[in-house]
Amino acid sequence: MSFLITCPTCGPRKGYEFRYGGEDKGPRPDEAGLTPEEWVEYVHMNRCVAGVSKEWWFHRDGCSAWFTIWRDTRTNLQVQVSNDGPEEQS
Amino acid sequence: MFLLPSTPLWDTSPPLKSSYDAVLIGGGLHSLATAYYLARDHGMTNVAILERRFIGYGGAGRNTAIVRANQRTQENVPLYQEALDLWPVLTRELDYNLMFYNCGNLNLCHSEAAVTAARMNIASAQFQGVGSEFLAPADVKRMVPALDVSDRPRHPIHGAMFHPPGGIVRHDAVVWGLAKGASEQGIHIHQQTEVTGIRAVDGKIQGVETSRGTINSPRVLLSAGGYSAGLSHRFLGVRLPISPLTIQAMVTQPLKPLLNHVVSSGAYHVYCNQTLKGEIATGAHMDPWPNYTTQTTAHYLKHQAEALTDILPCLRGVRFMRHWAGLADMTPDMAPIIDGNDPVEGYYLNCGWGYFGFKSCTSTGKYVAQYLATGERPEILEPFRLSRYKQHRLMGETAGAISYTPWN
Repeated sequence: MSFLITCPTCGPRKGYEFRYGGEDKGPRPDEAGLTPEEWVEYVHMNRCVAGVSKEWWFHRDGCSAWFTIWRDTRTNLQVQVSNDGPEEQS
Repeated sequence: MFLLPSTPLWDTSPPLKSSYDAVLIGGGLHSLATAYYLARDHGMTNVAILERRFIGYGGAGRNTAIVRANQRTQENVPLYQEALDLWPVLTRELDYNLMFYNCGNLNLCHSEAAVTAARMNIASAQFQGVGSEFLAPADVKRMVPALDVSDRPRHPIHGAMFHPPGGIVRHDAVVWGLAKGASEQGIHIHQQTEVTGIRAVDGKIQGVETSRGTINSPRVLLSAGGYSAGLSHRFLGVRLPISPLTIQAMVTQPLKPLLNHVVSSGAYHVYCNQTLKGEIATGAHMDPWPNYTTQTTAHYLKHQAEALTDILPCLRGVRFMRHWAGLADMTPDMAPIIDGNDPVEGYYLNCGWGYFGFKSCTSTGKYVAQYLATGERPEILEPFRLSRYKQHRLMGETAGAISYTPWN
């Protein structure tokens, strides 16, 4: 199903212009003293929420901006969220 | 003459007991096969399969029915090879025709890099005793005359990897056959029964909570296909290295026989086979963002029509009749996660199959059943521990020929 994503620079554009960049897992961990376990948690482990999830997107065929949006994985549609959003439902 | 009322192949409304020796979450092929082998090989019949919707709703009924054992890595191949060998055996054992058609898989190469990768795959397969050989374009043309092996297509065919023992299996028949086989041995298949939680006390599994009440069990297997990773996080707070992506497929109107092998191309992102009804079943595309929609996209229908008719020009003007999508739970190394008793005793996991879940279900069910019954991990499942990601020992399946495009 096709859907729109709102780029902070270019506004609403076709979803296929973008590249998905993963779940938002907070800031990249500090490399000093980083264990393989912590790194794997950050790189590979996902919550796979069936519901609204905060995630990174990259405007590949556009302005090259990286940004986060809230999206409902059950519909693909972007969800507008005030402040820092709802409690993620799973 | 009158028709007798049809009786279902399996007991569709067994009583829900308050306790079982094992509970399998998900009514897909991996659960059904596990249940079947639990009863057949280990005498464990006090077992429940819990399915939120109906058996065969998910990947079991949404795949493209292709089976093969030409994977890249030595850890993966034995499991797929045994699965392939089991189709004719199960057809007899279940007394149900699974319609295994071993027409062989033809994997097209569209670049020198892809040819090199294919030769590597073929060498690995031959080393393990799996039938696989390289074909030059002229041989490809002899085998499937409808393929355009000239310089005209956007990605000309440089050769192909031919895997004779693979083919297609009627996927619904596998669901029904295994359900019949499991049910006849006393396994309870509970449809419309949603698991809402997993109970664990002091690091030991106690059972599950369901939409129809609490069930006690010392063993719980999570094998819910594309839904497994979300459930693992929701029930136990355990995140998995999985992305659930939708994979799309479609069939054309029925045609006279023209394709007597499964043909696939990594570069075009297409695979196709002609069903016994004459439809060309085709698919392969995954939208690269996680979602649970199971919807197809106009974007891909168009791509699929263009790609398919570029290598098979005789299909121009043919119409698609139906299209659908299913979930593929992709891991970073395209190999599954099969693990148990970590971090909770009695909790087992069989997921992360990506788009390999159908072709692997029979042998995996057999070994997962052994794992559940004995508590000892079978040797063949050793490589699929979850901890391999923490050790950065990912498997090399992504280097397989199927992943090679003209840009590699």
